[in-house]
Amino acid sequence: MKEGPAARTVIGGVGYRNLRDHSFGIVMSDELEPLADPPRLLIEDLCYGPVAVGQWLLDEAVNAPITRAVFVTAVAREDGRPPGTISAYRWDRVLPAEDEIHRAVTEAVTGVILLDNTLVVTQWMGALPEETIVVEVEPEAHAFGDSMSPAVAAVFPEAKRLVMQFATDEAAARALPVLPLGGEWTSTAVWRAVR
Amino acid sequence: MCFKNLPIEFDAQGKAFLKEGAANPYSTATAGPPNTPKQLDPERIKELVKRNGHVKDLDFDPVTRVAGALAFHTVADIKERKVLEARSVATLFRGYEVIMIGRDPRDAIYITSRACGVCGGVHSTCSAHAIEMAIGCQPPPLGVLIRNLALSLEFLYDNPLHLHLLAGPDFSEAIVKGTNPGLIDRAKVTEARHTDVHGYRTMHDLMVDLNPLSGGLYLEALHMTRVAREAYVLICGKYPHPQTIVPGGMSSTITLTVMNEMYVRMSQFFDYAKKMAGIWDDLTDFFYEANPEYKKVGARRANMIDTGIFDNHELYDTTYKNCNTWGNGRWCTPGAIVDGKLVTTDLQTLNMGLEEFIEHSYYDAWTGNGQKQHFPTDPAGNPLSPHHPWNKVTKPKPGAQSWKEKYTWDTAPRWDHLAMEAGCYARLWNTAVARKMPDNPFIESTGHSLKIRLPRGKLPETQIEWHVPDVWNAFERNRARAYCIGWTAMIAMNTWMAAMERLKDGDTKTSTKFEIPKRGEQMGVGFWGAGRGYLTHHLVLDRGAVSNYQIVTPSTWNASPTDKWGQPGPYEEAVMNTPLLEESTDPKNFRGIDILRAIRSFDPCMPCTTHIQSEAGMITREVNTCACGLDD
Repeated sequence: MKEGPAARTVIGGVGYRNLRDHSFGIVMSDELEPLADPPRLLIEDLCYGPVAVGQWLLDEAVNAPITRAVFVTAVAREDGRPPGTISAYRWDRVLPAEDEIHRAVTEAVTGVILLDNTLVVTQWMGALPEETIVVEVEPEAHAFGDSMSPAVAAVFPEAKRLVMQFATDEAAARALPVLPLGGEWTSTAVWRAVR
Repeated sequence: MCFKNLPIEFDAQGKAFLKEGAANPYSTATAGPPNTPKQLDPERIKELVKRNGHVKDLDFDPVTRVAGALAFHTVADIKERKVLEARSVATLFRGYEVIMIGRDPRDAIYITSRACGVCGGVHSTCSAHAIEMAIGCQPPPLGVLIRNLALSLEFLYDNPLHLHLLAGPDFSEAIVKGTNPGLIDRAKVTEARHTDVHGYRTMHDLMVDLNPLSGGLYLEALHMTRVAREAYVLICGKYPHPQTIVPGGMSSTITLTVMNEMYVRMSQFFDYAKKMAGIWDDLTDFFYEANPEYKKVGARRANMIDTGIFDNHELYDTTYKNCNTWGNGRWCTPGAIVDGKLVTTDLQTLNMGLEEFIEHSYYDAWTGNGQKQHFPTDPAGNPLSPHHPWNKVTKPKPGAQSWKEKYTWDTAPRWDHLAMEAGCYARLWNTAVARKMPDNPFIESTGHSLKIRLPRGKLPETQIEWHVPDVWNAFERNRARAYCIGWTAMIAMNTWMAAMERLKDGDTKTSTKFEIPKRGEQMGVGFWGAGRGYLTHHLVLDRGAVSNYQIVTPSTWNASPTDKWGQPGPYEEAVMNTPLLEESTDPKNFRGIDILRAIRSFDPCMPCTTHIQSEAGMITREVNTCACGLDD
């Protein structure tokens, strides 16, 4: 099922440049950028700080609300999922305790750019669209450089396909489970079930 | 004579030389600087903890609401309400000094920017200064002015952020009601003095708006950081890591449109600055009047250092030879303050008095074992210590934590062997006292204060005046930082006006071409400043590549450990002097708010003090478990 005319989606890459696997999200938004179709489909580098991302989302929503956001990133959950595992889910948008939100804002304004604090801060700001999808990969290489590890590089094309699918196909997006941050990964990769 | 401890004297022409007769003039095997506080021996502390139930470890790991990874270990006498031991622990290794070796110097502008997620631009600029000095490349006047504008905007991001997102909550109703409920009762019946400026009738109203996440001042600060950031990216392309700072100036294209867009944002700080000064005057007065003991929270000797910042576009020529002249012509005067007295404003003197020690830091010594000192003098012939950054070699040596031995990744910079403090307030103090700032319509240095005339906005034109304080403590640091917002805004305004004059005259040149020399050895130093104060990048080039790169940030000074002589670093000293005024007597509910106020008042920024580059890669965020008990 393809999107109706009122749907407005943003695909956003989160991470740091030149940090090997941890640049997964930003490389993704760079590569997808030619497919942007504003105002219906925005593709953004969302690495400029969670507070600024929240402010940008709020600005964008003034004229026409963004209905779906797809965040792409690499996060070291280190919960047993092998490097290169893709987890895709709809974030349940449940905020942590106030102390944790405050810590996320502190980290945000002092330069930490990670998926978790981006989502927590933007949700606290009331800036996230109702449907917030995360496509995250477990990284392996954490060092300076522009090449991804073989495990992560190998899944990049599939992740790219999934990101576009979740951004443009309502049925696929809605089929994703609603989960807390990290996606409660189990050894049966969620994305396989989705596919 | 400004040096009391280093064996440096000056001849009649002001030329520095080493005192005769000193066999090893920079030996640290001396008694150390006199009349300085000392840490108690760790063995003695252990005994006290063992013998007295009311003497307890109080560890903060991590210290929250600071940038980066800072842990703090204290031992406090809960009965006497005082701190016996304080140890500042930078838990990560920075490593930029290692990363930079062998690189093209131009990389430094982009790589060292990553030392901080708040103020990358100051590192880029400092780096550009170091390169310009090393290769002899002078930016055109408009390039200097635009740099000044960019960095003033960065400070207008940084200072409100610290005051109302990081430090402010310590004085909020939400925190104070848990630590000092008596103060809340008093706040409810205390009228604020600057209601006409900030709009709060009582101190309680003001403190409620300082509450994290929900308070109006917290949310307003988030908004103001956006205003500053938007203005900054007009000329720097990107925040926090600028793309337009180059050796020889700026690569931005400056037009009237850009200038107007910048003005619209910059001018929003005129009213905000009036409000901030009023708020922090009222908060300071309220706490002092409630209990004069608050004057001791975070108190230490007024020993401060600053390199100055914001060049005079008619004086800056990049050379070390003339750095005293162009340094003294800056909008913020460089200087060293010892026990509240300004002892020098000369950059060469500041530079030659600088040393870094590693007795309690996870590094190996680079001196001794017959190693030859690379630079016995600076380019002007002034003597340099083997512990000076131009002579330093960074040799990381991780190990177990021990208060007697090594416990931090921060080094111990000292000036004339003294533990100096860095902060935007140091440059405020220098400038107020030195009376050297350029003539202008908005700011006046009186010798004992700084008068700042803020133009009319929604609020009427207002003059605020920062006075050199009688005491130096956590409250005065925050108050001074609040005044820095107006000061910085008006430096930006002066710079903006000068840039407009040049544009009107058809001058749009913002950079000078340069080449990196491929032969010989060159040295340079960037004397700049961060929102948090002092910043230097010392650079040595060898056949076109970096052979040494050393960064000293404000938090390198402030978070520094105890030195060889037992002299604590600034955080440590400030905490040791802090009385525990928290009302709770139940150790379970004890939050250590006074200690935290003392530490946070310095605006700690640990990313630029420590990052980590290990074999496992670079760690960009880490929450550490406490290792404070590992002092065996």
